[in-house]
Amino acid sequence: MLKLLKTIFKAGEATTQYPFAPAEVSPGFRGKPELDGLRCIACGACTMACPANALSMETDLDAGTRTWQLFLGRCIFCARCEEVCPTHALVLTSDFELSVANKEDLYQRATFKLQNCVECGKPFAPAKEVEYAMALLVQAGNTPEAVEASRAHYQTCPACKRKQNLNHPSQPEMGRYINQEVHK
Amino acid sequence: MNAVDKGANLIVPGMPTPVSIDEQVAKLKKTLLKDIQRSAYVYRVDCGGCNGCEIEIFSSITPVFDAERFGIKVVASPRHADILLFTGAVTRAMRMPALRAYAAAPDPKIVVSYGACGCGGGIFHDLYCVWGGTDKIVPVDVYIPGCPPTPYATIYGFAVALGLLDQKLKGTHLIQGEDDRVIPAFPNIPLDVRVMVEREARRMAGYLQGRQIAEKFLGLFDLKSPGEASAQLTQYLHEEADPRLSEIVMRLLEVTKAALA
Ligand code: SF4
Ligand code: SF4
Ligand code: SF4
Repeated sequence: MLKLLKTIFKAGEATTQYPFAPAEVSPGFRGKPELDGLRCIACGACTMACPANALSMETDLDAGTRTWQLFLGRCIFCARCEEVCPTHALVLTSDFELSVANKEDLYQRATFKLQNCVECGKPFAPAKEVEYAMALLVQAGNTPEAVEASRAHYQTCPACKRKQNLNHPSQPEMGRYINQEVHK
Repeated sequence: MNAVDKGANLIVPGMPTPVSIDEQVAKLKKTLLKDIQRSAYVYRVDCGGCNGCEIEIFSSITPVFDAERFGIKVVASPRHADILLFTGAVTRAMRMPALRAYAAAPDPKIVVSYGACGCGGGIFHDLYCVWGGTDKIVPVDVYIPGCPPTPYATIYGFAVALGLLDQKLKGTHLIQGEDDRVIPAFPNIPLDVRVMVEREARRMAGYLQGRQIAEKFLGLFDLKSPGEASAQLTQYLHEEADPRLSEIVMRLLEVTKAALA
């Protein structure tokens, strides 16, 4: 009996204190995906990668917006969205306390503006994505002035670009490969 | 959507209408949810999950997590249950058994939808043979997301269901500000070098870890002279003391130096 008690005392208490004390999760734990709305460019890469279709995007052409949506109830916490996000806007946190009584609370949404084409006025890409592409061109070695000078070109939709190329065959704007050659 | 006789529970083409509860039962349920004042008996209804959720439920009643501290006890029959725990995406074959278990549990009962499958169909949501979630067939009181939810998340979910803890998660809707702009990370590293480092790290360490290692590496390399960066990297590797990480980071350093030279 004494021996048994001794063993019990030596073993101590194995039960966790949670929920009366905060729980520690192991390193690399994948919890709730958290969107940094300021860094997201609404490119949609995460929605393409999400195997459970927990992430989705809806484009509203009339309002000129695109809405990103995460349905946490369907997320399988695989972190594929984190690995594809080009701006590191989406990161899996260690938050696991996600239970809700109201299903609406499982939805996380973010609405972004679309860029209207300077020629035809129709929206064709998220405005932040266009800005980010221009910033990347600067990082790739083009001068900010040169990129800024072609702003109208970057804010033109593909259909209008094709039309321009047909109408002015002498000065085609073929995209970044040719531009890179020019600016080098 | 088909109009279905709610009492009949027949299998019909199209989406089913969930079972609804009448006012009296709803009132009783509110009282039960508010203060149960006794042990809560849980019956687990597997509606076609992958068994991952079941394993986590059983690990949350082991001595380490010990859900029985709160009087939560898993019972063998729905007739003893206060809480019905639905796991799985509700396959066509398991719909009727699930409804029978629901009908067999005495009123008032709390329905908990467990796991990604239960909450919204999870990874199986668009399969031809699933209804895609517990709430497609019965009214749900608490959703516990996760694939599977960890024992901690399970305990938290039960605590929310029994009113011991408050729900923390809130639905959010961000709206883009007037001139939000994203500035590319690592402004001092040429784009092609950054892309090369990210590719190499992913090639060596796999996607998620590769990206994280590349991020850390570029962060330490940015803004500094190569010598200073090397010193910082050495210290970082020393702290981590992981030979696999060291090999990858050393390789990244090699290719970056070669590219920048
Ligand atoms: S963690 Fe996986 S399932 Fe969840 S949102 Fe990201 S990609 Fe989708
Ligand atoms: S991949 Fe990243 S930047 Fe693109 S939409 Fe998703 S969160 Fe936003
Ligand atoms: S939520 Fe995930 S672990 Fe649970 S049954 Fe579905 S697939 Fe399996």
